[in-house]
Parts: sequence; structure tokens; C-alpha cells
Amino acid sequence: MLLVKPADEHNPREPSKLFFESENVRRIILFAYWAVIIAATPLWWYTTSIERLSLPTSRVRSQAGNQLKITVPIHLHTGDSELAGGLRKELLQITAEDAEHWNGITVHVDHGLSDPTNGSYIVKFGGEDPSIDSRTVTFPLDEKAKSAPELKQVASTLAELISPRSQQGDPHHRVAQFSPRYRLAFTLMDEDASAGPAVLEWDFKTAFRRHLLPTLNALSQLHNFTVESQVQYHGRLAFNPVQVDEQSYALTSEQLTVFVNSAEWTLSSSASNDPVLHFLLFVPSATRRPLYIEQDGQISNSNAFILPQWGGILIYNSETNHHINLNSTDLDPIFSTFTNQLHMLLGIPQLPADLRSTQVRSRVITEWQLDALQRRRALENAKGAADTLRSIVNLVEQIENMPVGQDVKGDIQNALSALGQMYTASSLAEIFRHSARAFTLSSRAFFNPGMLAMLYFPAEHKYAVYAPLFASAFLPLVLVAIREFKAWKASRRPVKKVDTTKKIGS
Amino acid sequence: MPSSSSPSHSRLRLFRLPSILLLTLSIYLTTSWTIPTTLALDPSSPPPSPEHNEKAHLLRNFFGGRGKNDDAHGHGSGSGQGDGKVTSTHTNNWAVLVCSSRYWFNYRHMANALGMYRTVKRLGIPDSNIILMLADDAACNTRNKYPGTVYAEPNQHLDLYGENIEVDYRGYEVTVENFIRVLTGRMEESVPRSKRLLSDERSNIFVYMTGHGGNEFLKFQDNEEISAHDIADAFEQMHQKKRYNEIFFMIDTCQANTMYTKFYSPNVLATGSSVLGESSYSHEHDDDIGVAVIDAYTHFVLQFMEGINKTSHTTMQDLFQSYDPVAIKSHPGVRNDLFKRPLDQVRITDFFGGVSQAEVLLDQDGVVIRDAQNLEDVDEESDLGLNDQDEKITNSSSPKSSEEVVEEDSKSSIRRTRRMDEGKQQVGQAEKQGRMRSWSAIGVLVALGWFVHAKQKSSSSSLASRSGGGGKGQKRL
Repeated sequence: MLLVKPADEHNPREPSKLFFESENVRRIILFAYWAVIIAATPLWWYTTSIERLSLPTSRVRSQAGNQLKITVPIHLHTGDSELAGGLRKELLQITAEDAEHWNGITVHVDHGLSDPTNGSYIVKFGGEDPSIDSRTVTFPLDEKAKSAPELKQVASTLAELISPRSQQGDPHHRVAQFSPRYRLAFTLMDEDASAGPAVLEWDFKTAFRRHLLPTLNALSQLHNFTVESQVQYHGRLAFNPVQVDEQSYALTSEQLTVFVNSAEWTLSSSASNDPVLHFLLFVPSATRRPLYIEQDGQISNSNAFILPQWGGILIYNSETNHHINLNSTDLDPIFSTFTNQLHMLLGIPQLPADLRSTQVRSRVITEWQLDALQRRRALENAKGAADTLRSIVNLVEQIENMPVGQDVKGDIQNALSALGQMYTASSLAEIFRHSARAFTLSSRAFFNPGMLAMLYFPAEHKYAVYAPLFASAFLPLVLVAIREFKAWKASRRPVKKVDTTKKIGS
Repeated sequence: MPSSSSPSHSRLRLFRLPSILLLTLSIYLTTSWTIPTTLALDPSSPPPSPEHNEKAHLLRNFFGGRGKNDDAHGHGSGSGQGDGKVTSTHTNNWAVLVCSSRYWFNYRHMANALGMYRTVKRLGIPDSNIILMLADDAACNTRNKYPGTVYAEPNQHLDLYGENIEVDYRGYEVTVENFIRVLTGRMEESVPRSKRLLSDERSNIFVYMTGHGGNEFLKFQDNEEISAHDIADAFEQMHQKKRYNEIFFMIDTCQANTMYTKFYSPNVLATGSSVLGESSYSHEHDDDIGVAVIDAYTHFVLQFMEGINKTSHTTMQDLFQSYDPVAIKSHPGVRNDLFKRPLDQVRITDFFGGVSQAEVLLDQDGVVIRDAQNLEDVDEESDLGLNDQDEKITNSSSPKSSEEVVEEDSKSSIRRTRRMDEGKQQVGQAEKQGRMRSWSAIGVLVALGWFVHAKQKSSSSSLASRSGGGGKGQKRL
């Protein structure tokens, strides 16, 4: 009694009678913990797992195996089937000789005096000079004279028109990568306008309209152009040109490659992410001109050069002794060169040497050239799109942590359907349009920001992260659960025994 | 007083025997291991046993294989160098420079990255093609005695910060995620052009990383780390999307060479500052700035680069041969099994330069421009046909092969190989040294304990003698 009383004063209630010490409450609390953990597990699983939607892998694989075949219909305007047969044979031989170059292009030749179906190229015989106008090409070949060398000549010219190969150099190297949008940046740059007579202004708008606009309009099916221009009065070279004699200076071939002083010159705005083609009219300082280009130890006739995929540069040696403004007449040869450079950078093929264009405005690209360019770009795009799609599928398989979201899946499906449409399209313009779309969509899918692979975590890192977090929480919970379970089991047996004894006792 | 000291005395006595045993053991260990080490540092020592060669394996393979190239070079390709083999097929160059550390005490890492930045810019890569990731908290740090500057040598000659620095990813933007995004090109639409790697299949990319790292990882700003797998996967993704022609990967961190072991994409050339288990050390310390200003590996690479200009014909092989493990204090490695071109034909400027080729246009217009008096004669409509036959001459700047250089190469290769052997030996010794160091540390501790014990014993005895024997006059204290 004495012992109980003070205990009661401090602990007013018996420990075993506290409500939270009751067995049921304790088990409910424990159960609640477990319930929360079990209920939260799916949420945890959902939030920590990576969304990986299934991709149309088999479709991608089958599409990637397909090869775009572009048929080039050629209509020979003649009733002579022998001539047509001979020409057809020659063309086939040319395409067979260089199968790699002609990969994806098939030439279909028919003949007759009737009007050809729309879209095919017409070859006529007659006239005095080989000439070209729109889609018609005329050879001065007498229908009766079907000698082999002449036929060969005609066939090779046609082949050159259909799938031109660049005469010199590596066109793949020079031609800019395909992009639906380009930015053209024109700069008039004085090396040092303070050193003497310099070029202060140029009539850019007029010259641009006269020379470049027709080309850009002709190319509007392929690309969208943004044009910007600027004048800079002080653009130092990062090296010293070689002095040739007392009066003239020259750039060596190595200096050409480092001509652009990129550390100091700002040649284009960085307003967009479109690829930029630069065109630079460089006016050497009065103390260092005329400035020529040296080639193989000799002064070259040309004052213009191209940096592959980057743009074109032209050196303008002003010979007046006062400041000048270049008017549109002065700019004609300059912009003619720029146009030329643009053609080369965009991969517009040149006409075969023996053909003369009889188009009204000779500066505008002929249909043959445009078609050849479209054909090449379409083949490139089709291959690029298929490759990109295949690499997405491969990467997703290879890198297990790479998420694949709905937008990626959508882009891939759209790209696949664009590819499908491309294979079934009839006209070249359609084929090109679908190929460009497929390429753009597949690239967008590849570059989707959500596709960033989660970082690589070795297994031990995972243990290191989870162990401190979960071990401390789980250990007591598991142990208590086991203890409670044992207690519950134990409590059931004695209860029975007690009951039986009670029964016996009573 | 004696009574209080006596229990400790007796307790110490218990440890006396084992401690003396340990001390003798440690002395034995240190002496027996130190002698071979000092011998190994002597260049005239015999080559080490083969089991220590593992770490120097890569290096040795690389430099061993080089001899073959030299032969071919000397006999066959001496004149053939100009036939375009040397000329890389790329049209533009990009550089991604990453300093993954922040805070003042990591000043040297920022100096590393800025030194590289200065070099690639000097050699012709435009700012628009350089992605610089830098915490950038050194130049304007309150602890910087020279505000607004970053120097990489103790005498403050060359300010690397300068006035024309374009840091693309700064401060907390330097993250693993952003780095991977830069490489793979997976960016939000809104990210500006300057922060993007807009490379294509004709681009050569130089990737430089520096920071604190370890076995197959590099730490980013005390927050996270990038693993060798991540970079390898990023390169593979770039390869799949044709975002590069060739990659030159350089890394300066502890155990740097482990970072490129996981690469599996083609056309990747990699080099690092130190082998597995080896630290990369700082090179110079500035007493005014108060911290180390540059790392040894980067210092020597930059020093090499200083001798190169935009039109230099120096090759990657020359760079790799310039590595001196003794000066760098670690063993730089090279991995070129994924790289197709022979290293003696890969110019430094293929990765550090600007454009590789220029084509001169030989056409009517060019002539017109040159003869200014003809300008007026040009009729605006008729003579400006685009269809004029153009002659283009590909002007692949042909390099001159220099026999002297070749000879010099083979000579220096022998020298290098010898040096590598020494290096190898040292690597083997590094482990031993580490073990030895820990033993000697134990030894020193034990010795200290013994000394204290002895002192305490003597002091207690002297106290005892003083209290007991009175004025005996011993002045041990």
C-alpha cells in the first residue's frame, strides 16, 4: 500500500491501463504505419521510375531498310525508236557504271512525238547549239546520224543534268548541311577606315534585289532565308599578309584558312539558331593594298574564296584615294560573286559546260538544276531521317535510363508517316517536302529535351542512397511487427489454456 | 603528486613492451622499403618487375606502337604527307571547356579552364564555337587580391580573365545535366545560340574537363558527379546523331585516365593527366594570391600550346611525346584505339584551330574585281550569268614533311620510352610507398607514445626522487 500510493501520485494511472498501451491501440498504430508504407509504395514507384513509352521499333526498322527511289522520267521527242533505244542503253550504262552515285535514282526513258505527261524532262533534237530552257533540253543531233560517240555525249550530258557531280573538289565538304531555314549575313568590312581611303557605304538593298533575290525566290521550295547586312569600319586581320613587291600584298593559302579573325569580328547576329552563311566584302587598309590571293606561289586572278559551309569572302581593292560609297553598279560584280558563292554553298549544281541556257533571265536557276538539287536533298533527308529514327530506337534500347515521353513518340510516329508518304508521293516536290518533314520531325524527336538519359548510378550508389533513408525507418517497424506478431501468437495459446483451466475449475 | 601519477605510470608500463615491439617493427618496415624506393627514383636503376607495369600499360602500349608509325613515316609517307592524308575532313571546330569546381581554393581549376579557353581562342576557334562552363567565382572573389583577374603563374604576367571572356554556363549553371545537354543537343527551344553546341558531322570537337575526380567520376561543384559512363553515353548519342567528325577529349583531374575507359564511340581521341589510383597535382603556388594557380598537367599542355600558332603543323603525337611524368608528377595517358587516323598525321590545329580549308574561286567575277578599270564595262544584266564556267581549285593547304622532325622524333621516343620505364617503375612504387607511409605513420605514433611514456616515467621518477631524496639537484624538467 505504501509503495502503491506514491506511485499513484506521480503516475496517476497504471501503465498497463494507459490507453496507448493497450494492445489494440498499439497494433492499430503499427498497422497504420505499415498501411501508409504499403499505400505509398506505388506512388514511390511511379515517381522514381522513368517514363518509357514503347516505340514503334519494328516500323522504324522496316522503314529504315527502305530505300528511296526517285524516278526521273525523260521523254525523247522523236519517233525514232532506234535512237531512243540507243540513248536508253547509254544512260543505263552510265548509271550502272557508278551505282553508288546513282543510288536511289532511276531513269525512265520513253519516246514519241506526242506531248509528254506533266513533269517529265523533254529532250529534243535539232537546233544549232545544245541549249536548255526550263525542263526542255535541245541537242543538235541529227536523227539520222546515230553514231555512238554523239549518243554517248548526249547521254553523259543528260546524266550530268539529272545527277550532277561537282567538277572539282568535294561538294559534300563545301555544301552546308540541309536546314529548312538559313540566315544570310552580309558584311562590308574595312580593315581600317582610319588609315586612308575606305569604302564607307554600299547600296546593299538594290544589289541584293537584283542579284540574290531571284535565286532565293527560286529556292523558296527548299529553304526559308533570313537576310541581314552590316558595315564595319575596323576589322583587323590577325596576321600580316605577305608583301609581294613594293606595292602589293598577298594572302598565302594557309592565311586564307585563318583569314576570319573570329576572336574580334562579329559577322552575324546570334538572334536565332538557324545556320548562318556569311558573305564578307573585305576592303584592305590603305596601307596594305592591293591585297591579292597567292596560289602555288603565284598571284591568283581571283580575289574571292570560300570557306566550306561557312560562307564566302571577297577582297575589294579600292584604287581611289578618297572615301567611296559603292553604288549598285559597283556592286554588280561583287554580288554576282556572292550569288555564285551562295550557289556553291547551297549545292546548286552547275549546268554542264556544253549547255547554254536560253532562259529569259539567265541568272535564275533552271528547272533541271532545281530538280537535281531537290533530288539530292530529298535523298539526303530520307537517309538522315531513317538514320535518326534508327539511332533513337537503338539508343533507347541501349541506354536503360533514357526516358521516352509522349511527344517523342508522337514525333517518331509523324516522321514515320511522313516517310511513308514520301515513298508513295508522285511528284519530286512532294517527295522533297515529305522528306524534309520527316527529317525535321526525327531530329526534333532526337533532340527532345525530355530524352536526356538519367545519370548512370552504379548499384552501390543506390544502396548508399537508400540505406540511410530506409534502414533506420524499416528496422524498428519490422522488428516491432515481428514482436507483435509473436505476442499475438503467444497470447492466443495461453488464453485457450486459461479458458480450459477456468472451465475445469468452475 | 607521486601518488596520483603512479597509476598512470603503471598503466603505461603495461603498454611498454608491445609499443617497443611495434616501433622496432615500423622502423624495420620503413628502412627495408625506403631503400628500394630511393633506388627506383634513380634513373640508372634496372627496370622494375613486370607486376608493377599494369598502370603504365596504356602509356607503354601507346608509345610502343608509335615506333611503327615512325618507321612508316620515315620510309613511305615522307613525301606522301602532302597528298591530303594529313588534312582533316572537318570544316569547323568546336570546344567545350568545363571547370567543374567552384570556391576560392579551387582557383587553379578555373585558371586551367581559362588557360585552355585562351589557347583555343588564340588558335582560331571563335567564341560562338566555344562553350565555356565555369563557376567563375575566382576573378571577382573578395579574397582575390587582384580583383577581376585570374592568373596561371605566380608572377602575374598574363591575365587570363582579360576583357573578352564569354562564359556560357556560369556559377550554378555548371551542372552535369547542362553538360550532357550541351553534348547531346537536347535543349529547350528557348536556349540561346551561344549556349549550344551546334556541331555537325563535319565538326571536330575538343572537350576539356578539369576539377576534382576519382575512379571513373568527376565531381561537379560539390553537388553531384558525372561518371565515365555518362560521358561515354553522351558521346555515343552524338555519334548516332552525327554531331561530330572527331572528338579530342582531355581531362585533368585525379585518376583522370579512368574517365575515358568507358568510351565506345568511334573517332574519339582521349588523353588524361593521371592513371588509376594516382593524384594529379597542382603546379605553382602564388604567395600573393594565396592559392595554387594551375595544375601541373594543364600547365605543361598549355606551355606546349604556346609554341603553336594557327598554321602550325605540329601533331598530336608531338604533344603526347612532350608529356613528362616526372615534371607533371603523374602519368598522363592516351587512348587512341577508337581513333582512326595515325597520331603523327593529326595536327594540333585539327582540334584547336579554326577552318582547315579554303577554296579560291577562279571566275570571271574575280578577274573583274581585280582589274578595277573593267568595273565600268560590266553590263548589269547580260554579263552576269551564273552559268559561267567556274573553275574551282581545292586548296588543301599541303603540309611539308620535315625529315629532321622525324629523326628528332625517333630519338626523343627512345628517351621518352626510357623515361616511361622509370615512370612505370614509379607507379609500381606508388602503392608500396602508400603502404609504407601508413606503416611509418603508425611507427611515428607509437614512437610518440613511447616518448611521452618515457617522459612521464622520468618525470614521475624525478618527482619521486625529488620528493624522496630532497635536493639531489636533477634538472630534468
